[in-house]
Formats: sequence, C-alpha cells, structure tokens
Amino acid sequence: MSTPLASPGRRRAADDATAGLGPRLRRVFPPGLLFALPFLVLFVLFLLWPMVQGVWMSLTDASLSAHDPSFVGLDNYTEALGDAEMWRTIWNTVWFTLVSTVPLVVVALGMALLVHTGLPGQWVWRLAFFAPYLLPVGVIGLLWGWLYQPDLGLYNHLLGAVGLDGYAWLSDESIAMYAIVIATLWWTVGFNFLLFLAALQAIPDHLYEAAALDGAGAWRRLWHVTLPQLRRITSVVTVLQILASLKVFDQVYLLTRGGPNGSTRPVVEYLYDMGFTGYRLGYASAISYVFFALIILASAVQFLALLRREK
Amino acid sequence: MVDVPGPRAASAGPEGTRATLSRRNVLRASMASAAVLLGGGALTGCGSAAAAGDPGTVRLWDPFSGADGALLDELVETARPDMPGTGIERTVLEWGTPYYTKLAMASAGGRGPDVAVSHMSRLAGYAPLGLLDPWDTELLAEFGVRESDFAGAVWSRTRYRDRTYAVPLDTHPFIVFFHPETAGKAGLLTDGGDLDQEAFSSPERFLEAGRELARASGKQGVAFGYVNDTAQGWRLFYGLYRQTGNDFALPEGGPVKADADAMAEVIAFMQKLVDGRTNPDRLDYPAAIAAFTNRQTGMILSGEWELGTFRTADPKVGAAPFPTVFGTPAVYADSHSFVLPRRPDPSEAHRRRTHQAVAAILKAGQVWAKAGHIPAYQPVTRTRAYARLEPQARYVKAADHVVLDPAVWFAGAGSGFQNSMSQVLQQAVLDGLSPDRAARAMIERIDTALSQPSPA
Amino acid sequence: MTATTDVRVRPSRSSAVPAVRRARRTRPVPQRGPNLVLGAGRLSRTLALAALAVMALIWLLPMAWAVLTSFKSEQDASDPAHWFWPQGGFTLDGFRTVIERGDLPLWMLNSFLISAAVTALTVAVSALAGYAFSRTLFRGRRWLFTVTTLSILVPPQLLIVPWFQQMLTLDLVDTYAAVILPQTVAPVMVFILKKHFDTLPRELEEAARLDGAGHARIFWSVMLPLSRPMLAAVSIFVFIGAWNNFLWPFVSTSDPSLMTLPVGITSVKDAYGVQYAQTMASAVLAALPLVLAFVFFQRHIVKSVATTGLGGQ
Repeated sequence: MSTPLASPGRRRAADDATAGLGPRLRRVFPPGLLFALPFLVLFVLFLLWPMVQGVWMSLTDASLSAHDPSFVGLDNYTEALGDAEMWRTIWNTVWFTLVSTVPLVVVALGMALLVHTGLPGQWVWRLAFFAPYLLPVGVIGLLWGWLYQPDLGLYNHLLGAVGLDGYAWLSDESIAMYAIVIATLWWTVGFNFLLFLAALQAIPDHLYEAAALDGAGAWRRLWHVTLPQLRRITSVVTVLQILASLKVFDQVYLLTRGGPNGSTRPVVEYLYDMGFTGYRLGYASAISYVFFALIILASAVQFLALLRREK
Repeated sequence: MVDVPGPRAASAGPEGTRATLSRRNVLRASMASAAVLLGGGALTGCGSAAAAGDPGTVRLWDPFSGADGALLDELVETARPDMPGTGIERTVLEWGTPYYTKLAMASAGGRGPDVAVSHMSRLAGYAPLGLLDPWDTELLAEFGVRESDFAGAVWSRTRYRDRTYAVPLDTHPFIVFFHPETAGKAGLLTDGGDLDQEAFSSPERFLEAGRELARASGKQGVAFGYVNDTAQGWRLFYGLYRQTGNDFALPEGGPVKADADAMAEVIAFMQKLVDGRTNPDRLDYPAAIAAFTNRQTGMILSGEWELGTFRTADPKVGAAPFPTVFGTPAVYADSHSFVLPRRPDPSEAHRRRTHQAVAAILKAGQVWAKAGHIPAYQPVTRTRAYARLEPQARYVKAADHVVLDPAVWFAGAGSGFQNSMSQVLQQAVLDGLSPDRAARAMIERIDTALSQPSPA
Repeated sequence: MTATTDVRVRPSRSSAVPAVRRARRTRPVPQRGPNLVLGAGRLSRTLALAALAVMALIWLLPMAWAVLTSFKSEQDASDPAHWFWPQGGFTLDGFRTVIERGDLPLWMLNSFLISAAVTALTVAVSALAGYAFSRTLFRGRRWLFTVTTLSILVPPQLLIVPWFQQMLTLDLVDTYAAVILPQTVAPVMVFILKKHFDTLPRELEEAARLDGAGHARIFWSVMLPLSRPMLAAVSIFVFIGAWNNFLWPFVSTSDPSLMTLPVGITSVKDAYGVQYAQTMASAVLAALPLVLAFVFFQRHIVKSVATTGLGGQ
C-alpha cells in the first residue's frame, strides 16, 4: 500500500473547486480541505463534540430534566468505581466476550473450511450460514424469544422429543447467558464465515499443487497449507470479534433485559439504564468512559499481541 | 423478566380495533423523509411526522396489553359521546421499565404524546424533573371532574408543588383471591360470603388459615408468584411492613430511617408463608397463576388486575382486601393515572380537547372496573351498578387504606428499586437468607439509592 | 476492475484476481483434476457433505420454525400438545392482521428511507474525504487522517448519552434528522476509501490533469467511474449496517411513527397481548427485504462484506 505522492500538477490545475474564491480564501481553503470538509464538519459535530460533551457531562450532575447541570468534579467517577453493580455488568460483558468469541471464530472457520471444499450446493450453504446475519436484531429478539419459550418453544419440544427436560432458557440465571451466546452465534457467525471464506479462496492454488506433488494427503494439506495461510485472518477476525462482543447490548436487551436478576446485563445496558431509565445522564457519561477505557485496553492488548506475532 | 406468558395470554382478541397508524401518517412520514433526503436545510424543519398531528386526534400512550388493552379500547369507545369530535389514537408500549424509559425520554424531547398513562408512584420521579406539564384543574372541573371526586389518599399523591400532575384513573391494590368452595370448606368465609378477615389477622392465624386451605383443597393453601419477578416480592413486603405501623423515612442523601426489626418480622412471616409444604415455594408469576387457576391452591396473593384471568378459570372466584396481618390496616396499591408529557408550547385548544377526553374516560370508569381495577373517580363506585359487581364490590374497601410506593425519585412501578428490593426478598424467601440479614441488605440498598444525587 | 477489489487480508496481491472471481461464482467450482482441498477420496467427500448438511440444517431450523409458526392460527401456535403441525391447517391470518395494523409497513418505509439517507450521505462524504486524504495536499492532511483513523476505535455506544443530550439541545429528539445524522460519521469508511483511492493508477489522472482538469473533475470523471465496484461494496455494507442498527434509533425515537423496523417491532406491543403467530409473521416480514436481497444479489453482498468487513484492520 503506497502512500500517495503529491500530484505534480496540483498547483496549476487543482483549483476549479475553488475557482470562485479569491486567492486569500483559497489559501485558507485549499481544494483538498474542501473535499474533506463535509466529512470533517460531520466528524466535529457528531463525533468530536459529543466526545468532549460526554467528558463534560461526566463531570456534572446532568439529568433528563431541563434544569441546568452543575459541576460535581470527579464525583461520578468515584461513585462508578465504587459501584458494585457497574463492576458486575463489566464482568458480565467480559464473560460474554470470552464465551462468545471462541465459538464465533471456531465455528465460522469450520463452516468456511467445509464450504470451501467446493462441494455442491454452495449457494445453499452460503444462504444458510450468512442469511441470519442479515436479520435485524429486532427479529432476533422475537425469533429467539419464541424458540426459547419454555412451554411452546421449539428447543424445549425438541429436547422433550428425545426425552430430556426443557430449560427455562432465558429466566434461569445459570443458563441465560449461554442462551444468549447461542443466539448470538447463530445470528452473527455468518459474517466471520464470509471473511474466512474470502481468505480461503485467496490461498493460491500452486501451494496445494506443490503439496499434492509432495504426496501430502488432504489432512496434511489442511494442516500444512490451509491453516498456516489463515493465521493472519484468524487473528484479525478474533480481534474484530472481541471488540464487537465487548459492545454487546441489542440482543441481550431484547431477550432478557439484562435479567434474570441482572445476570446477563452488559455494561452498555447499564449505562443506558443509568442514563435514561434512571434519568442520570451525567453518571451514565462517566460509565461510558469507563466502558471506553475497557475498549481501549482491549484494543491495546490486542494490538501489542498482533505486533509481537507479526514479528 | 422477559414477558413471555404461556398459552393463557395467547387467546385471540377482537380484531382490527387497535389504533392504527393511518395511511396519512405513512404519507406524511415519507414526505418528511424526502425532505431529509433533499438536504440539510430541511433537516431541522421536518420534525416528527406525527407531532403536528390531526387536530381532532389525542395521542395516548399506555402500557395496557392483553385483557386490559382490549378493555381500554372499550372504555374509550364508551366515553366517545362525551368527547365529540375527538378521536383517541393509542400506542401500546411494552409495560415496565421500557415504558417508563421511553415516556421519560419522549417527554424530555418535548415531542411526546398528548397524554400518557403513568403509575402514580412514578410521579415522584417525573414531576420534579420537569418531564410533565400540570393539569388545569379548573378546566377539568368544567368537564365535571373535581378533587372531591377522588379519595384523599389518592388525590394527595397527584400533587407536586401545589400543582396537579396526574389524574387518577383507578386504584389497583394488591389483594387476595380465593376459590369460594375451598375457602368455605376451610371455614374462612363469613355468612355474607366475604373472606373472614379475623382468620388472617395475625401472622400465626394467617399461617393456620393457609393450612386450613391446604386441607380443604386437598393440595396446597396459598400461592404467591415472585421468583425472578421485578416487583412481586416488594409489593407483598411493603404492604405488610406498613401494616406494622412503620414507614421508611427517606431523606435525600440518606441514611434511611427504618425499623429493621419490623422488617425482619415481616420477612420471617414471608418465609414461613412460602414454605414449600403447606404453600408452594418456588413459583414465578405465571406459575402462581397457573397453580391457582388449576386449583392447586385455594388462594393467591395477587394484584386485582388478574381478575379477568381468574374469572375465566373460576367464574365464582372470590376476592377480598389484603388482610391486616400486623395490626394497622394497609393495602399495597398503585394507581394508573393520566399525565401530560411536557410540551414546550402546547396548543391551548388541543390541551382543552385532551382535558375533555380524559374527563370523559374517567366518567366511563364502570367499564374499566370490569378488569378488576377500582375506578378512582368515586361517582362511579358509588353507583348501584358498581355495588352489584362481583367480586369487585367486595374489595372496594381496600381503597381506603392504600399505601403507594415511597415518594422518592428512584422508586415506583417498573423501577430498578422495586426490582432490587424484590431480589433481596427472593434471597430470603427462596434461598434462606436470614430475615435480619435480609433487612440489613435492604437498608443498605436503600441507602445506596439515597446516596445517589437526585436528578431533579 | 482488478485494482478495485481491495481485500486487505490477502497474503499477496497477485492472488487477488482469481480469488474474487471464484468468490463471485455461485455455482460449485468445477475442480481442475482432483479436489485440491478434499483430495480424491469418496469417503472424505461424503463426510464433509454430511457435516455441512447437518450444520446447514441447524442454521436453517430457526428460520423454518418462524415461517411455520407465522402460517399457523393463534390457537395452534399456542397449543403445546400439537406444537409442530397445526391442527387447523395453515392460514394467512397472522400476516393479514400485521399488515392491516399498518405500523409494520410504516416502519419498513422508515427503515428504508433512513438507511438510504444514511448510505447516501455517508458514502458521498466519505468518498470525498477519502479522495482528499489520498490525492490532495493541504496542511494538516496527515494529522487529520491520523485522527480519523484513531477515531475508528470510538464505539457508538460511548456516544449515545451525549448524542441524546445534543439532540435535546438542538431540539431534534424524535425527528428523522436525529436518527440519521450521527450515523453518517463513519471514519472507517473514509479509511477504506482512502486506501482504495491509493490503489488507483495515476496515469489516467495525469492525463486528465494535462487536459486541464482540476480535482473536482478528476474526482467526478476519473476516480468515481473507476471506483464503482468499491462504492457499491461500501454502500451495501453501510446500508446493511444502517438497516440493522438498533441502539441509536432506539434511543433517539420514542414516537412510534418514526421508528425503524427493528425498534418498532420490539417496542410497540399489540393491545391484545402476546400473539405468537402474529409476532412471527412480523418477524418474517421484517426479515424478508434483506434476505430477499441476499438471494438475488448474493455475490455483491458477499463481496461487500469481504471487502469492507475488515474495516480498520
């Protein structure tokens, strides 16, 4: 990936975008900046300003009320750090991430390897594995709420058909989180599957041909050609998955509202609950930044790990 | 926590009467979005497609689904002659925390509905935050609704800083339902067919009455569904705690003043009541209803709003105010009331229309009583037609001693506070946490809530 | 064509072309000689096919169950004794009720308009910025690009509270603008498009420049035509993202007539309680647009995910 060089002719010709402006304005708004300007305006308005405003709000007692917030210093952060429920939701988030990432990567890889064998029915496999990813999360909430319904849901009936007891999937504290992980796996694994599939298809044929000439069987080709070639994409997918899992909210909120007894409530839901349900926008902002710290920490750890591996 | 009732909730209702989003709205929505697509200048101007609305339509938000939902349609229909030219467009949102969150956010945004149903216990949070506009009591009086038409205990809760922020539609107490044959066989009925309140007038007697019921039913005595429920534990506890003559003093910043011994006494009673032998012990809300309707038990501790469900199973089902177990009469209750979500510059004519519509609905309250709710507008409950309602007329007295949630911003129906209290109570009742430790844990949690700065 | 398929995972650029070509094929790949992955054995082939079939069955089952339920009557849907095959036969009642209620089509329209607006704005703005960062020089360009790249790390979940406050301040709560605007800031799309412009050959641009074209003309008549596949990929990706976005639309709208599909079907309840057949009918209808799109445009969507899905990596 080359860094672009300055185009030699830019001084002479670059200027039709700014032709209407006088030379002074043109110096303030060079054409390049004009091109970037729409983005930069949106960026400042809807990313930078809110980030700064979020920091400010976290230092105030801002609430849903129309009253002017007053400055409270670091009170919100002190409260957050001593808030057992916040730590519990962070742990729930981390636990969800740990439990969901492994199957989301491994199952996706398995699917991709199987589909990549070139067996007939490619179209069907892709549809089966990837279509769930295209469902809006609202559908996931309705569908899995229904699948998990204790008396009428499909899964308890299937368990019953083989003589097993059903579960209270979403209202039993000991399994609700796993039920959510299963629904998440079904819903989003297709995305990782496609990434793996694209990577598999990019492995040059000559590597297989060479291995085949050396007399390597299918398994050996898998171990010695395919998997090593997938090493990089696997770490990338894992990183993306961890970051995505840490941000979990939608399906948890829709399936259990964080229950039973808060056992599945992720930190994003906690900040939503504190800010909007509990009216305390300032406190919610402080929790947002604790959450952000978590994301940054995870990114930094992964970045370092990737760097090391690539060396 | 998830609202997935079993088969009982799935009975089909009348079709097509639900308020719909009209084709005109669709058109308006698409034009507004076309404006968005056309460019930035239109962005701020387009606003909500429905906010402008049809001038003759009052937009109402409510959390009534199922039987109550169908009944509200009927109530509105009955009230229609009293509000000429006005149509009600209902939006039903999911009951509980999601409902109150959406209502608060919509009110903060200033484009909420014209009127919304809210539990009275929520007012302590909403009114000080400036999320609501006050009612015009003179205007209400003009349409025939006055302060004197309501029970004092209820009306007093509608006020904040000398303004009225809620117009109560009903009172819905936490009461007891029973199968009359079973209760009669157990000798717990008076000659008039009322529940013999004396037989429940102390913790020991209540437990004994439970054993009698169990013997009479041949199975178990009293059902109470609370497992993983976000409010039931608290409903039972708080009513009983107030019966001990105590209350919580909740100064801002804390700490709470409470009688920990009385709390422990109440919790101990709850533990003994939900013992797993005489009475079933690990029921969640739907399971308790099933246990009572299948006559697994002779009695259930429940909100009166389940009347319709119970009557379907047992047309003669009996009901009574929650017995006074600890000396002082007190019945836990809440009240569905109408509130005006904040509007920066409301149209006077439309507000007038809204007042008229609400007054009309109150006066049609006899319909609402079918669901079991006690209409708050007393001219309705004083009628002979109401006195004939069975079993509603038998627990109407409960309204005299109602206690609502403490008036603090974090409490009230659908609040995290009720949930948090119910969790501790579940640990005590289900997992054997000792009563005084449970009481201490509750006090601790109340203190934590109090230590949070009030958002108002 | 070759230069525009910028899948950055690929170990070597030389393999890019066959990879994408193969990915675009929808029919099974006729193997040259023995199957390079599986080998010639019949057993391994059968086993792999069986494994695939089982997996696909597990994955298709929930959708099939939803479709089955949606064609039942309410009575049959909530009958635990005959949970699989409906006693009373199949019916369209669930769909009819849902459609007659009228809010689902409205939400679908909202979702479509909002996603289209988000896509149009995001792609236009990001393409311009990507071009600026890739092909122009101005003071602060590198610095701004670094900031843009870093901000990919900022999760939207972090911003819901200040966004809501901002919409309160601007008096935009419960408007389309409030739903759309925050979604249009997509640093990752700028990054992707910048990297994409970097790969475009300079010769055509130079020629245009000699003809006296400025940046605007180069962008419009040289860069964009060359980037059509990439822009399509990015657009599809942004559209799917906006279509399925939940958290912000959920926070920014309370008025049901403004809600998007995922928010509406989960927030607004029926006044007559939980009705499973109707619920599944709305789920099926809500799922339909993108699933149908996938059936018809599978290769485009697959390519879009493969090119754009790796985002900032």
